[in-house]
Amino acid sequence: FPVLMTVVGAGCSVNVSVYDFLQPKLQFAPFSSALEAGFWHQLTQKKLNEYRLDESPKCVKGYYYNGESVGLPTRLTLEFSALDVDVATPARCCPAVGTLYNTNTLDAFKTTDKKALLEKEANEIWDAIQSGAALKDPSILCKFILLTFADLKKYHFYYWFCFPALCFSEGIKILQQPSGLEKVFSAKQITALQEAYDGLCVSRGTTAVPYFLMKYTDDSVQMALLGDWDSFFTDTKKVTVGVYDPCTLSQHPGWPLRNLLVLLAHRWGSKLDTVDVLCFRDRTLQGSRSIQHSLIFQVKLPELPLNSGMCPKSVGWEKNPKGAMGPRMVNLSECMDPKRLAESSVDLNLKLMRWRLVPSLDLDKVVNTKCLLLGAGTLGCNVARTLMGWGVRHITFVDNAKISYSNPVRQPLYEFEDCLGGGKSKAMAAVDRLTKIFPGVNAEGYNMSIPMPGHPVNFSQATLSQAQRDVEQLERLIAEHDVVFLLMDTRESRWLPTVIAASKRKLVVNAALGFDTFVVMRHGLKKPPANHNVSEAADSSPSLPSVPGSSLFSNIPGHKLGCYFCNDVVAPGDSTRDRTLDQQCTVSRPGLAMIAGALAVEMMVSILQHSEGGYAVASSSDDRMNEPPTSLGLVPHQIRGFLSRFDNVLPASLAFDKCTACSPIVLDHYEREGFHFLSKVFNSSHSFLEDLTGLTLLHQETQAAEVKHTRTHTHTHTHTH
Amino acid sequence: MSWSVLDEEGFSRCCRLLVQQSQSLRDGWSWEPGQGSAEGYLRKTTLRTAAFTSRPEREPEGSGAAPEQHTAPGRAEEPSQSDLAAPAASGDADDLTGAEDDGADEDDWVCRAPAESSSRVLQYEYHVLYSCSYSVPVLYFRAFTLEGRSLSLDEVWSCVPPQYRARLQQSPWNTITQQEHPLLGQPFFLVHPCRTDELMRPVMQAAQQQLRWVNYVVTWLSMVGPLVGLEMPLSYAALSPQSPTATAAEQEPSEA
Ligand SMILES: [Zn+2]
Repeated sequence: FPVLMTVVGAGCSVNVSVYDFLQPKLQFAPFSSALEAGFWHQLTQKKLNEYRLDESPKCVKGYYYNGESVGLPTRLTLEFSALDVDVATPARCCPAVGTLYNTNTLDAFKTTDKKALLEKEANEIWDAIQSGAALKDPSILCKFILLTFADLKKYHFYYWFCFPALCFSEGIKILQQPSGLEKVFSAKQITALQEAYDGLCVSRGTTAVPYFLMKYTDDSVQMALLGDWDSFFTDTKKVTVGVYDPCTLSQHPGWPLRNLLVLLAHRWGSKLDTVDVLCFRDRTLQGSRSIQHSLIFQVKLPELPLNSGMCPKSVGWEKNPKGAMGPRMVNLSECMDPKRLAESSVDLNLKLMRWRLVPSLDLDKVVNTKCLLLGAGTLGCNVARTLMGWGVRHITFVDNAKISYSNPVRQPLYEFEDCLGGGKSKAMAAVDRLTKIFPGVNAEGYNMSIPMPGHPVNFSQATLSQAQRDVEQLERLIAEHDVVFLLMDTRESRWLPTVIAASKRKLVVNAALGFDTFVVMRHGLKKPPANHNVSEAADSSPSLPSVPGSSLFSNIPGHKLGCYFCNDVVAPGDSTRDRTLDQQCTVSRPGLAMIAGALAVEMMVSILQHSEGGYAVASSSDDRMNEPPTSLGLVPHQIRGFLSRFDNVLPASLAFDKCTACSPIVLDHYEREGFHFLSKVFNSSHSFLEDLTGLTLLHQETQAAEVKHTRTHTHTHTHTH
Repeated sequence: MSWSVLDEEGFSRCCRLLVQQSQSLRDGWSWEPGQGSAEGYLRKTTLRTAAFTSRPEREPEGSGAAPEQHTAPGRAEEPSQSDLAAPAASGDADDLTGAEDDGADEDDWVCRAPAESSSRVLQYEYHVLYSCSYSVPVLYFRAFTLEGRSLSLDEVWSCVPPQYRARLQQSPWNTITQQEHPLLGQPFFLVHPCRTDELMRPVMQAAQQQLRWVNYVVTWLSMVGPLVGLEMPLSYAALSPQSPTATAAEQEPSEA
């Protein structure tokens, strides 16, 4: 017997006697609370807009269903509309009405007297049983309690359901074990039963009846509502009650039967020897309906202490998933926190692009790229927005300008308000706006200036050390990022980051605007420094006389590509001096910055998709007909756009060994002397760099050869805002 | 414009028919009117047992991620639910358990359902709305635990049997994205409608050639539904009305 005894007592700490085993007691499957996702959304709305700090009990409506497949729990479901009392119960489901206690604090949730709540509900059920109200509206027997606390800062929801059940002092003896209806009823009887139930529903104008009375013969079944007991059962020798049963277990009824048996015992217990119970289950699979798995069994009702009139003991608080007596908590920040939602939506939208169009797209590479934007003007704003579109999370701005009245119409991260009171710092305002657009972004701003060649920093010790700090800051920023965007409004401010990034082997994407022309280019990415010292590098390409601006060579590998300064035969100097306003502030056609900014980001993405990244061979215009090197297409060195012709070309050019920014001798001096070298560049005229790189010599040679035709600057000398 | 384009009126006609058929098939589709508008949507919920792999919890947000330590003394640590629900995402409120001693009387009349049953149960909710911009029906859905926690798309995918998953990911339906429900304002997944017309056109044209009326919504749901666990019983096809009026109305090419 020990084995059998374990079975009977499974999960309960009950001492089971042999006698009890021979006279088994009825056990009920408790309700499992089931909340639809929409319920918490709706509770949140109600709490914010309606309840606010009101803790008074609210009416809440759930339902249960008797058509689930075997193995599924006996649910009591609260859906989206559970807090709207007027909403109809789903077809063929039985309503259950509950009381919601939503506390304002976790502490109130904890300290709520659960026993008192349960007793209060149990008393109401007991009163309804005594008064007969439960006969007219038996749904009272399935009342429930829901205690909640909504932590709307963390989107944590604490809750605890209670399905009050009144208890007899002794168990309910099973006289005939539960068995499937098909074993007890003939097919004819089953059909008659189904028709009788449907008829009862129709007569009541509903699609489900929670409790009913039943009489049957070999070929007919009659049904009536609970309230019609006295007229329906003329004698009480054979009484069958039906309960709409949400349980799917083959040996146990669900919870709704519990309080019904108490009602029966209270009202008719003294007249009834036994009661037959039909647990009515009604499921449809693939369009075919069946009720034959309903259960039928016979019990003997225990006696209730009649005279006392006291409400019996009650139970019903739901156990938590660990089987312990305690509340549950659900963390909905993933699906309710707007910031998290924005993040997952952005991610999914990008994935959609991959699934739909470019299956091999490596989105992680793009999303995880840390981008440093030097310049937060027209180009910086547009680059930032396009980066956001690609899901790039890490964006840093460097700019020392303030927002002026002319900016917002062209610089899409700023508004009129940002110009007031002298204007906000662009770098800071850009960060604020990015965070407003997408809180998941990790944006930082640095309001700092970038020292420039020919712009002395040695006026005082203070200016010198400020310049040194700026250089160190810029070095740190470049080291911490993966891609550096040069988006400034002067040519010479691009020099220092070009040198630092070349030295640190960081990918540089450069965009510059003319009036109706632009250039977007990637700088050549030098080979890693380990196996290249300066002299070797200088020797490594001895055969070719380096020709600036050359696009004669196709298939230039990434490490041999030129930088922004490679095409110049003059060193960057003070380009803002000695110029008219017109020349200083080249105004561009308004669409140009958007085009160039977008292209700069798209170029970066294409480079990242190439297996060799910044070392990828430069695609040229001629490659437009060939098999593209990446899933997104070409990876050019430069894109030069001519808005007047609505035309782009894709030139590629070699690094120039006398380049004032990326030539080995400049990098060598920078790497060896650091700020000492840089300050000389800042404080000297352009001839310093030209002498250093040999450009001066080149000039003399060319002049000597009387080549008057000065090389055209193929890059655009541009000054944008 | 192709004759197979579904306008809003055609959509609601298809939906009305579907709901009628669903009532006799008892598979739970209902029509939910939108609040204060003529719009509405088809709705169905289902329940299924599934083991799903939960996404690893995100970085804890400071100390806020874990509920305050519970005060219950000497409560043995439960083995984690490993491959089931994310332990930190839902479940029992650890900090509160055991603090209760009221209502804790053991109830002898309770049969214990198998412990795993409720934690493995997922609720699926399907909505079918009409998209004016694409002129096609759109399937919105979400899956959630019994606690009402919506699953991430990764978790939803992990419920799809692997052999089925591979096939689905190559199918033209593999375009699930996330959006706010246009009528409810809550986050839902949706099967993006950008290819619906492309997929449905040959079906509808074939039907037209055979002088056969097909319910666009039913046919489309039977194709797109399985991706997200929604099966349309074959009985819908059997119940398809052959009513000549419906046939004539539907088959009249709009531009003929
Ligand atoms: Zn260079």
